[in-house]
Amino acid sequence: MTAAAATPLLAVRGLRAAYGKIEALKGVDIEINPGEIVALIGANGAGKSTLMMSIFGKPRARAGRIEFDGHDITGVPTHEIARLRIAQSPEGRRIFPRMSVAENLQMGADATECSEDEREVGLERVFALFPRLKERIAQRGGTLSGGEQQMLAIGRALMSRPRLLMLDEPSLGLAPLIARQIFDAIRTLNRQDGLTVLIVEQNANHALKLAHRGYVMVNGLITLAGTGAELLQRPEIRAAYLEGGRRG
Amino acid sequence: MSATSARPHASQPSDSAFILKKALISAAVALVLFSLMIGIRTEAGPEGNLIYWTRFGDLAAIVATVFGGSIIVELLRQWWGPVDKERIVPKPVQSAMSFAGRWLAPALLGFTVLVPVIFYDQRYILDLSILVLTYVMLGWGLNVVVGLAGLLDLGYVAFYAVGAYSYALLATNFDLSFWVCLPLAGILAALWGVMLGFPVLRLRGDYLAIVTLAFGEIIRLVIINWQSLTGGPNGVSGIPRPTVFGIPLDNSDDGLAAKLGIEFSPTHRLVFLFYLILAMALITNWVTIRLRRLPIGRAWEALREDEVACRALGINTTTTKLTAFATGAMFGGFAGAFFATRQGFISPESFTFQESALVLAIVVLGGMGSQLGVALAALAMIGGFELFRGFDQYRMLVFGIAMVLLMIWRPRGLIGHRAPTVFLERNQAISSDLVKEGHG
Repeated sequence: MTAAAATPLLAVRGLRAAYGKIEALKGVDIEINPGEIVALIGANGAGKSTLMMSIFGKPRARAGRIEFDGHDITGVPTHEIARLRIAQSPEGRRIFPRMSVAENLQMGADATECSEDEREVGLERVFALFPRLKERIAQRGGTLSGGEQQMLAIGRALMSRPRLLMLDEPSLGLAPLIARQIFDAIRTLNRQDGLTVLIVEQNANHALKLAHRGYVMVNGLITLAGTGAELLQRPEIRAAYLEGGRRG
Repeated sequence: MSATSARPHASQPSDSAFILKKALISAAVALVLFSLMIGIRTEAGPEGNLIYWTRFGDLAAIVATVFGGSIIVELLRQWWGPVDKERIVPKPVQSAMSFAGRWLAPALLGFTVLVPVIFYDQRYILDLSILVLTYVMLGWGLNVVVGLAGLLDLGYVAFYAVGAYSYALLATNFDLSFWVCLPLAGILAALWGVMLGFPVLRLRGDYLAIVTLAFGEIIRLVIINWQSLTGGPNGVSGIPRPTVFGIPLDNSDDGLAAKLGIEFSPTHRLVFLFYLILAMALITNWVTIRLRRLPIGRAWEALREDEVACRALGINTTTTKLTAFATGAMFGGFAGAFFATRQGFISPESFTFQESALVLAIVVLGGMGSQLGVALAALAMIGGFELFRGFDQYRMLVFGIAMVLLMIWRPRGLIGHRAPTVFLERNQAISSDLVKEGHG
């Protein structure tokens, strides 16, 4: 385990990906070390979500290399990437509205073969993190509030006992108080379990305060990298993502 | 449940006044309308003069019917009312209904098992129940594709046809018995299910529906035009009847009746067919219920809800869709083989789009994904259709109206709620009415 700390858990090198003729990623390099929270910030259409989905195999990389734990996963099919215990909470929550909370969580556990005991441990972990979900266990996903649905989406991703958790816009459409709860939960996960997290956010202020390191993405390229605190101090970041957003 | 019992009687007084007022207005309108139409009858007399007489008794009866009917309709509207309205169902009615709901399925099954005993002498009813059970099985089969996996399949009849022709051709050309052909018919239909599945993997909703519709037609046209194999429009005749594991059900010395030492009767075969299709339908139901509790069944339902989320969770959407198509097609193939052996003769006319539409209507009316609902809908559609045979030209009209009304009052089908398959602590059903279609 000590040797693993030297090599990044996830390394993306020169990644290019496109939707048809429109190139969304133009050679992206990022690294995520074990136990880190890494934030990826940028404006709409910068390619943040594409990067996350591309790591997951859809859209496929046109060039470049994605390594997870030292293994090349560039061409691996999407459903097998999940089996390597990379979990994704997609943008817009996307829980299963007609299925119960319990079933939604079970869907997360189904992806990786896990024993009954592991499932129980996983459930306990999710309920400890989001007690609200335990109260609503038999309720249909669609009857939950937005915040609860986000908790469910993260809980569902956690059920596969991921080594890397990727969250796409977890604060999207949530009241500030609820968003803070979600960010607190992510911090707890990272501190207690040492979970490695990649978080894609428009809410740069929150995300950078939470993250150890951050990347700024503009038009399919990484333009800035640094620790969360450093990036928060950068005048161009403040201008582009923080003050402008607040006044506007 | 909690929302319905929260304010059960709060708004009743004003409601009853409203209902009464509405009924009075309806009655007044009826009085005005019918006083001339029914109250006074005119006729030309023998010398061309006008004679008329009054029929106030009939008029009063009509107006009273409208008044009473209006109250009943209004009460029904309040109970079963629109999705987003609170219901004023009295507690005893509620508990009676939940009691009925719990015992409906076992009672229905018990009654079904006894049908050949009760109606032994009534060939018509036996025939009809065999038909209903065939559609129950088809409905349950299609339910896997449409109800669980959410893939709108308008060409389900293709698999029914593949199953029927597989059995008919294998049995007439190679002298194979029904019990050998049945699994073969299922396998062949499943194979065709996968073949349909591959090209439509990327399609959803409307586009998928169109392609499956075309697929159903292609199969039918191939059957019509491939004369050398299928006999074309003339169909296949002389399909062997099923045997009780090798013992034929006929009047010969080797027949079942002779072996058991009882007098031969043609009803024996009907009773056998009845229990055969009942067993096949119940196996379909059992397999579906089991599958729903397995990861693959959950994956089907998840696929219906959100395909992107499924991919994010590492579900292989390709195999999930293909297994749904194959499983549904396989049950369709079994039902087709049964159809062929029951009829003894099949032709392409039995496999038109109307059959697909009928089975789909059964699934949708029953409540997508609900096994009991599908069975009830099959009973109502097929049985009800026969019931209205006397009305002949009106029965399509009646059915159209019934369907529209059902979709207004029960937009999710007869049994719209979906029972969860994963239980952690307590089991508590959430009424479907609390969840709108799509994302909540």
